[in-house]
Amino acid sequence: MKRTTLALLLSAAGAIGFAGLAKAETPVKIGIVQATSGGSAALYGVMQKNGAELAIDEINASGKLGDYKLIGIHQDDGGDRGQTVNVFQRLINQEKVAVILGPTLTTSAFAADPIAQKAGVPVIASSNTAPGVPEIGDYIFRTSPPEAMVFPGVLAYVKKKFAPKTAAQIYGIDDVLMKSAYAVHKKALESEGIKIVSTETFQKGDVDYSAQLTKIKAANPDILVIGGLAEETANIVRQARQLGIPPSTVIMGANAAISNKLAELAGAAANGFVVGAGWFINYDSPTNKAFLDGYRKKYNSDPDTFAAQAYTSVYVVADAVKRAGGVSDLKKFRDAIAATKDLEANNGKFSFDEHREPVIQPKVLVMKDGKFTLATD
Amino acid sequence: MSTFLQQLVNGISLGSTYAVFAMGCTLIFGVLNIVNMAQGAFFMGGAYFGLEAAQLGLPAPLALVVALLGGGLLGVLSELVIFRTLRARGGHRWMGLVASLALARMLVGVAQEAFGTQVQRYPASPLLQISWEFGGVRVQFLQVVILVVSLLLMAALAFLLQRSSVGRAIRTVAFSEDVARIVGVPVGRTILITFFLAGALAGASGMLLGNLFNVVSPFMGEQMLVKGLTVIILGGLGNVPGAVAGGFLLGLIEVFSVAYVSSSFRDAIGFGLIFVILLVKPNGLFSSFEERRA
Amino acid sequence: MSAGFSQFFASYSNIIDLCLLNSLIAYGLFLALSANMFSLATGGFMALGAYCSVYCTMELGWPFAPAVLAGALLAAAGAALIGAPVLRLRGDYFMLATFAFTEVIRVIALNWDSVTGGAIGIVNIPRYTETWHLALAVVVMVYVVFTLRRSYFGRAIAAIKQDDVVAQSMGVNVFAHRLSLFVASGFVCGAAGALAAHLNFFVGPGDFGLLRSVDALIYPILGGVNSLAGPIVGAIFTTLLPEALRFSNQLREILMGALVVAIVLYLPGGAMSVFKLRRRRPQTPGGAKLAPATKQAQS
Repeated sequence: MKRTTLALLLSAAGAIGFAGLAKAETPVKIGIVQATSGGSAALYGVMQKNGAELAIDEINASGKLGDYKLIGIHQDDGGDRGQTVNVFQRLINQEKVAVILGPTLTTSAFAADPIAQKAGVPVIASSNTAPGVPEIGDYIFRTSPPEAMVFPGVLAYVKKKFAPKTAAQIYGIDDVLMKSAYAVHKKALESEGIKIVSTETFQKGDVDYSAQLTKIKAANPDILVIGGLAEETANIVRQARQLGIPPSTVIMGANAAISNKLAELAGAAANGFVVGAGWFINYDSPTNKAFLDGYRKKYNSDPDTFAAQAYTSVYVVADAVKRAGGVSDLKKFRDAIAATKDLEANNGKFSFDEHREPVIQPKVLVMKDGKFTLATD
Repeated sequence: MSTFLQQLVNGISLGSTYAVFAMGCTLIFGVLNIVNMAQGAFFMGGAYFGLEAAQLGLPAPLALVVALLGGGLLGVLSELVIFRTLRARGGHRWMGLVASLALARMLVGVAQEAFGTQVQRYPASPLLQISWEFGGVRVQFLQVVILVVSLLLMAALAFLLQRSSVGRAIRTVAFSEDVARIVGVPVGRTILITFFLAGALAGASGMLLGNLFNVVSPFMGEQMLVKGLTVIILGGLGNVPGAVAGGFLLGLIEVFSVAYVSSSFRDAIGFGLIFVILLVKPNGLFSSFEERRA
Repeated sequence: MSAGFSQFFASYSNIIDLCLLNSLIAYGLFLALSANMFSLATGGFMALGAYCSVYCTMELGWPFAPAVLAGALLAAAGAALIGAPVLRLRGDYFMLATFAFTEVIRVIALNWDSVTGGAIGIVNIPRYTETWHLALAVVVMVYVVFTLRRSYFGRAIAAIKQDDVVAQSMGVNVFAHRLSLFVASGFVCGAAGALAAHLNFFVGPGDFGLLRSVDALIYPILGGVNSLAGPIVGAIFTTLLPEALRFSNQLREILMGALVVAIVLYLPGGAMSVFKLRRRRPQTPGGAKLAPATKQAQS
């Protein structure tokens, strides 16, 4: 508690100092709408808030935007859609933000993004991977690659290497992200001609997957595809191996499973786990190294894919501010965001396509001794 | 056949964690007739107390004691801060629900601030990696340990309630606070002890479940509270053996509805069954004795 | 001036809408609580109302008003269906049975993709609900509850709340009274669900779980179950609290909990009891008047 109070005082003092400084410069207000309370949404809301705030600090310190100063305004929506709408309305109409990063949950996006669209304020999501989000309108972007962009490549790799005939699926039925990932996985498996022999589900907050996995074990599939967040995936992988699903069954995960938590929670059971991603922690590039160093220094822990994508979002914003020459004209600013091309980001060169989806090079990763490594063959 | 037996093992193992937690719930909800929604937060708190102890290098049995004491402490705290005051001021029983829910949210918030939102795990011990296979059925050493610990806790509580003076006092207060006062039972202290016991059981089950499923998170208590309530209704309010039987029963119902119906409908089947059971036996499945408050 | 007002409304219109919507739900629960029915069926009723009305407007092309009515009627039918067996149960058993109903509805919503869209929910729902719809609904509810409390029916309900055995022996048909209140509560919650569905472009099964049901109970209880204004006070307080505490994202949850605990401890009869205490203080010091409420609730 003491630590919290101190941190609070420090951040308040920082904010005051910040505001004093900002007066001499042109502020660019960035609304960060991420759930930092309210159950499992906070798991990836906190990561994205961290990633975005790190990037804002870096850009301001670097002075690369000249007179423009990025000001992050974080608002916690508690993973509750009503609050997301409240926050959007206030950020747009009162704070007059130039852009909103978020929200954490796709369900919140469906409710709140239309408000920003109507007001002409750009929104950049970094965790909404379900279909239909950028379709809300031409001001809605995302830096999180949808599963459909990543998974087919991963499956092609697995098919070439292991020649699987049968597959089992398990996914979180009450999670928008995972339900849509499941549909993508299913379609990809079917188009590759792999027979789905078993489909199981779980719900948020479940910790025991042994009943589902025992059923899957009896079906004896060649591959097991998990549609779950990193924490869930880690436990499923661990319990699957504990129940004796043999190493010959290749386990694959969804994009959201990219996290060092996976290796930490699953231990040796995670070896051989295959997953596709836009970003991964051991991606070797100067930009990613700078991101990792900065993140570890500031938060004393490792980032995950959500933090990385939120970090990228801020760099997209900064780049667009520069090209649009400020944010006084939001239409021009939006066009500049949409025109983002080959931006040097922590996952390689980053662009938006005409549907405001991220264009990234999907990478196939295999877990080796607790580390994600690029699949070589 | 081996699949069936494996599912049986899965169900018993899951049920053992439900049973320990539900015993604590039934003491509060049933015996004291207090609605304490913070019971799930004590469960979460116990898991973190155990985790901190284990990370300090304490051996597992000692960490379990820390989890027990930590959970019990939280229970005592809730009685002293909320329920005792509420009773003294003649608050409505429903106000206890609102206050304890608020307390649960506060504890989750504190845990989030202190430990972060991310899921953590107990330090891996090679001893706990051991598992045996009998004709295709996997049994982990950890599952056996947790079952034994659960059974020991159940036996300890049963002994305490039936044979000790504290147990007699609790049963008297449960029968009637007025009667307890007349026969000279210190009512306030007895209620405090009951809160300690219930919190301790919640804390212990938090650590057991955290170990078994490798999960410690600030949000782990919410779902468990629902399971706990379900179990004590199944077993009959205030019925400690009923809570134990109900715990195992719920574990088995969940596992077998996944195994033989569908995992998508697991909770609907569980709750549908409970709905039917309530209609047939309105005082719980194990209500052989006349229910006190009926 | 009008520019200032329109900016204020643009910034806070959703908060106002939520306050009104939650007040409506609070009165739905107030009906149930007035006969000691501690119902966790709210989430289920709201889901029925929401999905039914959205189906009517989006698939069948109905106008808004009949769609809301259809949703409310379906929820009322649901209440009648489960009410008959469930009302036999007492106290916590009733609570769990109503919660079971909510869970079963939620699981069906998760799995019935063709109608509910599963977890992904239904998107692009037209926004038909206006602030004045919600305000009107709340006003109507306040009027109905006000009249009801003064009628013979209301006195019978009050008798049931005091002691249902005595009420029965005095010739009040306890079961019929409770059932009609439960159905009315279902109707109101169903209507609230239908209005909520057409407010924010989207519905999903996550909106209608345990959390929703528990929140709905907190509004009238925190506000005061014995006062006509209790539900509205509780609902507005609970809706504004997270917004008012936005100055600290870190401590928000903790402060929110602490404030609620403080209110419960200092006003154990609900927020509205603050007025009663003041009025009665000359005769009976403290909140001793509230004690009988505890006893009968434990019956």
